[in-house]
Formats: sequence, C-alpha cells, structure tokens
Amino acid sequence: MDHSKTLNLNVRKDFPILSKKILEKKDLIYFDTAASAQKPNTVIDETNDFYKNHYSNVSRGVHTLSVESTFRYEDARKKVQKFLNARSENEIIFTKSATEGINLVAQTFYDKFMQKGDEVILSLIEHHSNLIPWFFLRDKYGVVLKFANIQPSGEIDIDHFNSLFTNKTKIVSLTHLSNVFGTELNEKAISICKDKNVPILLDGCQSAAHLKIDVQKLSCDFFVFSGHKTYGPAGIGVLYGTENLLSEMPPYQGGGGMIGDVSLEGASYAELPAKYEAGTPPLVEAHGLGIAIDYMNKIGLDNIIEHENEITKYAFNKLNEIDFIEIHGGDNKRNSIISFNIKNIHSHEVSSFLDVEGIAIRAGHHCCQPLMKHLGVNSTARLSFGVYNSLEEVDKFVIALHKCKEFFNK
Amino acid sequence: MNDLINDLYQEIILDHGREPRNFGECEPHNKSADGHNPLCGDNLKLTFLLNDQNIIEDIKFTGEGCAISLASASLMTEKLKGKKIEVAEEIFKDFTNLVSGSDEDLKVLNEEDSLYALKGVGGFPMRVKCATMAWHAFNQALKD
Repeated sequence: MDHSKTLNLNVRKDFPILSKKILEKKDLIYFDTAASAQKPNTVIDETNDFYKNHYSNVSRGVHTLSVESTFRYEDARKKVQKFLNARSENEIIFTKSATEGINLVAQTFYDKFMQKGDEVILSLIEHHSNLIPWFFLRDKYGVVLKFANIQPSGEIDIDHFNSLFTNKTKIVSLTHLSNVFGTELNEKAISICKDKNVPILLDGCQSAAHLKIDVQKLSCDFFVFSGHKTYGPAGIGVLYGTENLLSEMPPYQGGGGMIGDVSLEGASYAELPAKYEAGTPPLVEAHGLGIAIDYMNKIGLDNIIEHENEITKYAFNKLNEIDFIEIHGGDNKRNSIISFNIKNIHSHEVSSFLDVEGIAIRAGHHCCQPLMKHLGVNSTARLSFGVYNSLEEVDKFVIALHKCKEFFNK
Repeated sequence: MNDLINDLYQEIILDHGREPRNFGECEPHNKSADGHNPLCGDNLKLTFLLNDQNIIEDIKFTGEGCAISLASASLMTEKLKGKKIEVAEEIFKDFTNLVSGSDEDLKVLNEEDSLYALKGVGGFPMRVKCATMAWHAFNQALKD
C-alpha cells in the first residue's frame, strides 16, 4: 500500500535502538511504547553529558558542579511546569515514578483529610498502580473503596460513577487514558468531581506523551506521569498537585533536602516543592525528562498526536477487517493503544510469534487484572504506538498476524 | 518459518496445548498446590494422590494459560504418573535445567523424552516461567 501521502514525522533516525536487528536480521518494529517509550539520541547524549561534565548533588553544595547540577534539575522542573501548564513550579514534585506519586498522594492525603470509613472512588479500568496504594488505605485504616463500572465501549459508566458519591467521598482517582483500551477519560467525570467539591487525581501515564495536557483546563487536583513513557529515562516521575493541597498535606518521606530546621527535639519542613523530595533525587533522570520534553516540543505535540491518531485509526480499521481478531473496547476513538486477541490463541503465543518477526508487542494482563476478569479474558495482546511508528509497520504487522494464525491453526 | 518458533512450538506442544491430558481434579487426592504467574495471570491447580509407597498414583491439573504452560503441565502429569517421589524430584531438577538453558548434565531425562520438546523454551527467556509453572506447583505440593 502506498502511504506516501500520509504524515510522516521521519524521526526514526533519532532513536538509535530502532536500527537494531532482532535475531540478527529482522528490522525492529516497536509497538510497545505504552509499556515504555524508546529514547531519542538527545536524551541519551544529554544524560551522558551530565555525568561526564556537570554531575554533583543538587541543592546542597556551593561549588561549581553543585550549581551546574542544581541548575539542570530545576530547569527540568520549569520544563515540566510548562509541559503541564501548571501555575507554578511549586506544583511540580519529582518522584521516582508515577507509582510513587500515587502512593504519595494516597498516604499524605489520608493523613491530612481522611479517617476510618471515608470513601475513595476508583474504577474497574485502573492500572494496579492506581489500585494497590488505595488498597493499603483500606487495609490499614478502614477506608472504603468504590469502583465505577465500565461500559462495553471501554469508558467509565458516568451514571454509575455519579451514583457512588456520598458525603463520605473524600477523593477520586482515575486513569486519564486507559492503558488497555486507549480510551480517554470522559470529561464529565472531572466536572462531577468539581460539582461535588471532591479532589480528583488523574493517572496520566498513558496520556502525557499522547494528548495535550493542561492541568488548569483539565481542572484536576493531582496529575501523575512517568518519564520513561514520555521518551525520557526510567527512574523519574512527576506529581503535579495544586499548591493548596500540597501545602496542607504532610511530607511523605523524611530525609535530607526536605527540612527547614532540625534539632533533636523535632524539625520544620521545607517549602514546596522540596518538602516532598526527601533524599538525593533522580537528578540526571529529571534532566533527561526535560530533554525529552524539549524533543517532543521540537516535533510539536500537535504533530505527534495527529501522527499517532492516523496510525491508530489505520491499525484499528485493518484489525477490524480480520474475522479472527477480537478488538477490546468497542468502536470509539482510541489514542495510540489497541488491545486485541486472536480467537483461540493465547496472547503469549502471538507475542512470541511476532517477536521472531521483529515486532515487539505486549501480551498479558497489563497490570489490570480486575479489568481482565471483567472482560472474561486471561490476557490480551496490545499494540501501542509512538512518534517513531509508521503505517508501513502496521502493514507488516498485519501480514505477520495472518502468518501467526496460520501457524497455530495448522 | 523461523527455526526458533518451530523449536518452541513443536507438534507435541501444540497438541498438548490444544488438548491437555489429565485435565481435571484428582479424586481422592492428598497433595495439591496452586501455580500462578503473576506477570501474565496464567494459573493452574495441581492435585495428586501419593500412596504409602511414595508413588504418585494419579495426578491431574486444571487452569488457564498459554500453549506452553498448558502443554508443560500436561506432559508433566503424563511423565510423573506412576513415578516414585525420589525419581520425580530428579525429573523436576532435570526439567528446570533443560528449559532454562543450563549447562548442567541431565541425569534422568534424555532426547527421547517427550519433555525434551520443551527445550525450545530456552530460546525465549521470558517464556521459561510458562514452562516451569506446573513444575513449581508440584515442588510446592511436596513441601506442604
């Protein structure tokens, strides 16, 4: 098929790993960006350069290297602030992962605002990282968890969600973009929270590099995402929180860097954002995330989104034509993610078969076991796209799927 | 077709994956254990009857999983039925070495053995857990 008229960002060359041959001869087709994105040269080179030429601890010394490191770390915070359109750098907390961000909010929000019997609303499509931190509150403190149902389309059932609120509902935590269905959260869910004056946390792991994020427009109270899914390094995550809430909640971990003044009798705590950043932070990784944001900005997030939408739609239509493929989540719009099964073939088999064809896809429960149970499947295969993918790759993938079906039905 | 795939999915594996033998629950049984692969959600329940001579009189499993995990469990039950427990433990060790690509010499398994069909799993390190899930359940049941 001729794809010459379609938008091609032509950025494959920016990602050195994409020239790797799988099993020494197959071109790599990387369809697992939702698990982790590949890294552009600029991120790899700049993190190397940090270690080679500028590295020291941050915010602690007064010597040259300390200044250079601190500058890079804080510059990354500014870039993240702009990326999310947060009001202030004080609202940007660096964590080691999005998971840590959710744990931080669950624990410290409970400490300040909740007690036994209070309620948290989640949904059936949440990733384990947006379930287990809240399970901890249920197990330790007797917090009550409620789960919004989903519709066959893969979206949260808004009426059911709305019906879960009581005067004990203290916080809501939902995925902004489902890592299984690729469906975006219905904005009504957020406006319902606003109407009821209940804070909402959005898990933005899958949305941060694939939708334009504006935390003020979204009017969420917390937003988390991870560096490694946004073309940056692993080991760095971001928690956005409104200054009001972050100021009122207590620190999460204690240690160096988060203190105001310490005596043996007690301590006062640092101002935001340092209050939540105990210990030496992942400073090089934070810098790498800043460079990844620069990279996305250079291509243009609008272009990236248009490109990914085109591939996702194309792949969806191709898969939808194949009678032995079952796509999960109805016909609604998807953003960069499609989950499917080949009838009667376990997703492991599909993934291993495609692997030797050079195609990397995810197989398994995607850290969403409650959702898998709801779908009545043990696992699914998942395609997910990034800035470097192309329609030609989808064509090759579809051919490989037919070969796979033939192989296992022989 | 690629050799790695053909080695992984030999006919006997596909056959046992589609139609697992000894599928069900052993009644009566005096040993049981659950196998679970938390990374992918595959699971099985293994039950067997150990008689007073320490011989596995009957052994069955139920569960859901990929072709490799189902075939491995199926072949395991075929292999272990009627074996003395000491022998079964030797087979367990050999099998673990076989699929993990270990250089250690096999003591009781050889190329004629149906279990040898799972050697191809060694070419897919992430699938080793699929092949060993049933065996670890067996080992667990012996300890309990």
